[in-house]
Amino acid sequence: MKSSTGEKFIVPIGPQHPALKEPGHFEFTVDGEIVTGASIRLGFVHRGIEKACESRNYTQNLYMLERVCGICSHVHATAFVIGVEKLAGIQAPPRAEAIRLLTSELERIHSHLLWLGVAAHEGGFDTLFMYTWRDREVVMDLLESLSGSRVHYSVNLIGGVKFDVDEKLADSIRKGMDFLEERTHYYMKIVTTDDTFVGRTRGVGRMTKEHAERLGAVGPTARASGVERDIRYNAPYSGYDQYPITLITDHAGDLEARFVVRIKELYDCYRLIRDVLEKMPAGDLTVRAKRKIPEGEVVSRVEAPRGELFYYIKSNGTENPDRVKVRTPSLCNWATVSDLAVGHKLADMPMLLVGIDPCFSCNDRLVQVNQTKTNSRLWSWDDLRRYGIEYYR
Amino acid sequence: MNNNPMQEIIDKVMNWARINSPWAIHFNSGSCNGCDIEILATLTPRYDVERFGIKLQGSPRHADVLIATGPVTLQAKERLVRIYEQMPSPKFVIAVGSCALSGGVFDGCYNVVGDLSKVIPVNVFIPGCPPRPEAIIYGVVQLLESLKTGKAPELVEIDLPEKVFEMAEEE
Amino acid sequence: MSKTEELLTNGHELIKDFVLTSKYPEPNRLDVWIEASNLKAAVSNIIENHWGYLITITGMDQSPKIDDAGNQISEGKIEGLYPFANQDAILTLRTTVDYENPKFDSICEIIPSATIYEREFIELFGVEIVSTPDTSHLVLPDVWPENTYPLRKSFTGLNADQIVWKGE
Repeated sequence: MKSSTGEKFIVPIGPQHPALKEPGHFEFTVDGEIVTGASIRLGFVHRGIEKACESRNYTQNLYMLERVCGICSHVHATAFVIGVEKLAGIQAPPRAEAIRLLTSELERIHSHLLWLGVAAHEGGFDTLFMYTWRDREVVMDLLESLSGSRVHYSVNLIGGVKFDVDEKLADSIRKGMDFLEERTHYYMKIVTTDDTFVGRTRGVGRMTKEHAERLGAVGPTARASGVERDIRYNAPYSGYDQYPITLITDHAGDLEARFVVRIKELYDCYRLIRDVLEKMPAGDLTVRAKRKIPEGEVVSRVEAPRGELFYYIKSNGTENPDRVKVRTPSLCNWATVSDLAVGHKLADMPMLLVGIDPCFSCNDRLVQVNQTKTNSRLWSWDDLRRYGIEYYR
Repeated sequence: MNNNPMQEIIDKVMNWARINSPWAIHFNSGSCNGCDIEILATLTPRYDVERFGIKLQGSPRHADVLIATGPVTLQAKERLVRIYEQMPSPKFVIAVGSCALSGGVFDGCYNVVGDLSKVIPVNVFIPGCPPRPEAIIYGVVQLLESLKTGKAPELVEIDLPEKVFEMAEEE
Repeated sequence: MSKTEELLTNGHELIKDFVLTSKYPEPNRLDVWIEASNLKAAVSNIIENHWGYLITITGMDQSPKIDDAGNQISEGKIEGLYPFANQDAILTLRTTVDYENPKFDSICEIIPSATIYEREFIELFGVEIVSTPDTSHLVLPDVWPENTYPLRKSFTGLNADQIVWKGE
């Protein structure tokens, strides 16, 4: 990924989500307007969680692993808990699985709406950012009614879930879904017909199916190129075999397709949640789990809003795990951006990055653009963002 | 104090401007994003903190207030200090979230310093994991009130209940 | 035979020449131990036949087992796990190396995006990955001291004086 000529742009971008200012380093190698290389360096959010897991017991780890990421906290906890339950040889009761599924889908809605707002902000569309985040408050309220917290819901327990869904909550969830479905029609219209949006996303960052497979893309980024990868479909867990999803793919493979796939996933979430609420089985919420988990090694894969989340847990018969390995989806998708960036205009970079929905705290990323000459210009993310907006005006 | 009455008037105007329209810069020193999302949520229509005159913007050189989250990872520590130094005086720091207070769940992890006040002086701590947007706004308003009266923000004491919880029986 | 079992059998066929031992820890998972020298060939067989995609590279530190009397009953090893996924089926290549000579071959020629996982493996465990294109730190900070590998069992913490601050 090294280029032979060109100016070096060091774009020190900070934060986790491009909209937030924060630590992170993007370096793009540019030749005039065209990007000729990109690379990645993480490190600002590295907290040493995998090591810390080894000195805490399983319950403490449940709470800590939830806080790997504030946006997808429930899937991290679910992946961990599913793995530990397999090791302990217990199976959470069907009602607990349904509630886990319900929370996962609500989280997917909140994450996609959050991302849509951030993407809009990157494209200079601040009004859409305000709309989507205002609508997102509906989901936050529902999650708060379910679990008592807007972020980090801590719904999981080893052996089941803590909170139950009664009729009143089910009704408010249904109402919330109806409201959001109406609003999603509006978002779909904007993303596919608004000139500003379409100008910046149609045809940009096109990735063919073979390319996506070779690069190891996961999640909506891969599905937008026609790759049929979705853990909920390929390897159903926690109730997804009783409430199957609709696999949503697109063939265009460009940025617009990634937007469209995520919005279509929103529709599927609404349908799935209504389905679960109707057919939720009665029963217990938990089964008893021992403190000490028998020796073994287990792999747990779940579908986070951004793609496949992989957990590998090794236990040694004590209360603490021996090894916990977390591989988050944005890390795989990063390879697609650094590959696709080459040949695109610098002004396309913000949207391209947003297209994979990067979650830095899940991964902590940095992008670097390689370069050979010694000229270097320092830009902030905001500069890059504004450059992109101006360019397309 | 200043004997020059003109200077006093200028000071009053500047203080008024600072209180009524503080410019804030947000910095994440390694957090999971939960606090940052709640901070960003305060800008959105439901909470709309901009009606208090707070503006979140990008450059430290124009900022009055630094809103920091995260348990200060080793990599972020230097940048945090650099941003603090770039801010013009008088400057104030708000530490948001349990991680910025003490490291939160990450206390003891190898790449984490923890308490933000070990790195830069902090004026207001807002506890929570993450704190609700209302709590964040409350903390910011506390800071503004203290600027107005010239006193340090008031410590809110909460009495713990007699029995916090019963330990479950060992199986 | 279920679809998953079929997939695993096909996968096993592709690398059967290199298998030292194999195990089915779960019905949909096949773990295969191979020599470190055969790693590249095995990965190549899997990828060329489009069996699946590499999920990640997991490192593990199997520290030496010491019995109650303080005698060492087994040596310490570093293990690299390379799980490949095909729908529900997971085929994991596992290979162990000694602490004295922890060398793996890079698989970046076959899977270019594996460089990210290899970088993490190198810095957190202190292994050497031959011909990997990039050995710079992925997640550890710039101020991290040399020869300190946090995910090894022997690492118990970092003292403040070990950190190499730049010009403070």
